[in-house]
Amino acid sequence: MIRERLTGAGVALLGLLIFTVLIPWGIDQPGNVEHMALAPDFWPQIIAVIMMVLGVLQAVRPVPDDDDEDTGGDSGHWLHRLPGLAVALGALFGFYVLIPTLGMVVPGTAVILGLMVFGGERRWPLAAAVAAGVPLLLYAFFVHVAGIPIPLGIFEALRG
Amino acid sequence: MSEHLLEALSLFLTFQNVAILFLGVLIGAVVGAIPGMTTPMGVALALPFTFTMQPVTGILLLLGIYKGGLYGGSITAILIKAPGTPAASCTVLDGYPLTRKGEARKALDIALYASCFADFVSNLSLILLAGLLAGFALKFGPPEFFTLIVFSLTIIAGVSGRNLVKGMASAALGLLFATIGLDMVYGTNRFIFDNWNLMGGLSFIPVLIGLFALPEIIHYFAQKLSDVREATTVSGTGAGMADFRRCFKSILRGSLIGVVLGAIPGIGGAPSAFLSYSEAKRTSPNSRNFGKGELEGVAAAEAGNNGVAGATMIPLLALGVPGDVITAVILGAFMIHGLRPGPVMFVDNLPMIYALFIGIMLSSAYLFVIGKFSIRAISRISEVPNRILYPVVLVFCLFGSFAINHSMFDVLMMVLMGCVGYVMMLLRFPAPPFLIAFILGPLLEDNFRQSMILSEGGLGILVRSGICWFFWTLTLLSLVLLVRSRKRNIPLSG
Repeated sequence: MIRERLTGAGVALLGLLIFTVLIPWGIDQPGNVEHMALAPDFWPQIIAVIMMVLGVLQAVRPVPDDDDEDTGGDSGHWLHRLPGLAVALGALFGFYVLIPTLGMVVPGTAVILGLMVFGGERRWPLAAAVAAGVPLLLYAFFVHVAGIPIPLGIFEALRG
Repeated sequence: MSEHLLEALSLFLTFQNVAILFLGVLIGAVVGAIPGMTTPMGVALALPFTFTMQPVTGILLLLGIYKGGLYGGSITAILIKAPGTPAASCTVLDGYPLTRKGEARKALDIALYASCFADFVSNLSLILLAGLLAGFALKFGPPEFFTLIVFSLTIIAGVSGRNLVKGMASAALGLLFATIGLDMVYGTNRFIFDNWNLMGGLSFIPVLIGLFALPEIIHYFAQKLSDVREATTVSGTGAGMADFRRCFKSILRGSLIGVVLGAIPGIGGAPSAFLSYSEAKRTSPNSRNFGKGELEGVAAAEAGNNGVAGATMIPLLALGVPGDVITAVILGAFMIHGLRPGPVMFVDNLPMIYALFIGIMLSSAYLFVIGKFSIRAISRISEVPNRILYPVVLVFCLFGSFAINHSMFDVLMMVLMGCVGYVMMLLRFPAPPFLIAFILGPLLEDNFRQSMILSEGGLGILVRSGICWFFWTLTLLSLVLLVRSRKRNIPLSG
């Protein structure tokens, strides 16, 4: 229940930050607004206030969550999740960072192979075939069928 | 009348037309099933190929892709939690839990039956009610749209699970994300922070994929060392007549909702799917199973989604007004061939309109045949172990996010939304309310502000017509019913 109250407090704080910092900083206010309801920050301000109210409600009267819902909440200590979390996030952000240099096919192969091995797949021929085949098939489909120029990075010269 | 029909039959019944329509539905189903390939994209890509075709043939190809795409979007929504189209995102809510329970085939089957039935009803309404519905649709101004969207948003209470406050907070976050971009009235920056990629707002598909597909994958690998949970390796049996009968009320209601909303320009499949789902949840005896793998939920969402297909053609054919992006492309195809849809076309080219009607009806049958034959093969995807499936899906999503706008920024946005979704998952904030609010948010705000412009700031415009009152009453009734049912079922603590 403490966690639920803290979550509520967090939502209220987020609403407050949006109202007091993010909206004044992120929304340009024109000088000739005729009605308050037409102002660009009117709607975001309402949303921020709603978040504050909901956060306070959650903090004051928390509702226990469904235990049977498949939300993936609490199983296992959070420390045990860190290595897997680091691998998954590393794969995602690594892929993004490598696109300008290596394009999408090579990082795609590395991501599939790496995650399959991390996930416990030990049939190497299968893993290699899937890792190499899927990005190539996706590349072929998007480039040759849909006409979408998937980046190849330093392999751009190989584009057929 | 009969001579027009005979002329229409002779116009339609050529091998080329019958084959090209089949091809269109097939292409549409494939395009819709690929996250990153949207149905409008598929229709737009096919448009140049229609230049050299006969007008009826070319337009049938585009219509086939449109209809196939609406169904195809549900396939990946059900199997890998990555909706191929925004409209299919509602199908995720119960479709994916069914796959996790080993009932992927049943979910795909009922999605197909609901899609075909709703498509048929929508086509029928197009043929019978084109003029009448087009007239009704024209009565919708910004205040009427606003009240309709407010009513649609009451579904948030239905998909929030046990904790309504968290569901509403999730929806508020979705509404906030929907405000990113240039202001529609003054053209000033809103949360753009000098990044031009944000000027047009966040793209739907990267947000949808990031929010739904990625958290599941991140969670799988994060839990890998502490608690491994493999998905079921059984795709299950298909849905039978009994399942269809059980869901029939929701399918019929969803089809009619789709017809009405589809006839209103600018609404589209997503609000219709959510409204249909919401109504099914409100009235079903199994309402507590919704969101946990309820077949009726899949049926309602797909019926609402596909019910718009024929109806969006109503304003196009009857008034020459495109109801959405796809019908705008189809309008372009008409114009390329020197035709102008509208009342005059019903006088000058009636046989051609009838020929299109025949083709549209046949497309429902094609959808059923293509869907039925492909489901057995497609549903085997759920038998692939997660350690292989998830990395493949991840790369699929990364390619798909890029493909929408050829933009690396969209890839980054999908990854970031995946992180947001994962944090929400850990804190047990439901994702569906975020998604609903994110999709409906721009419609809600735009119509509110347009109303305010019309009334020069007066709120009275929001109750100006019978339609407004009708939706306010429905909203109020829904809220009262929801609060009462929640009070009965969920004791508050603290």
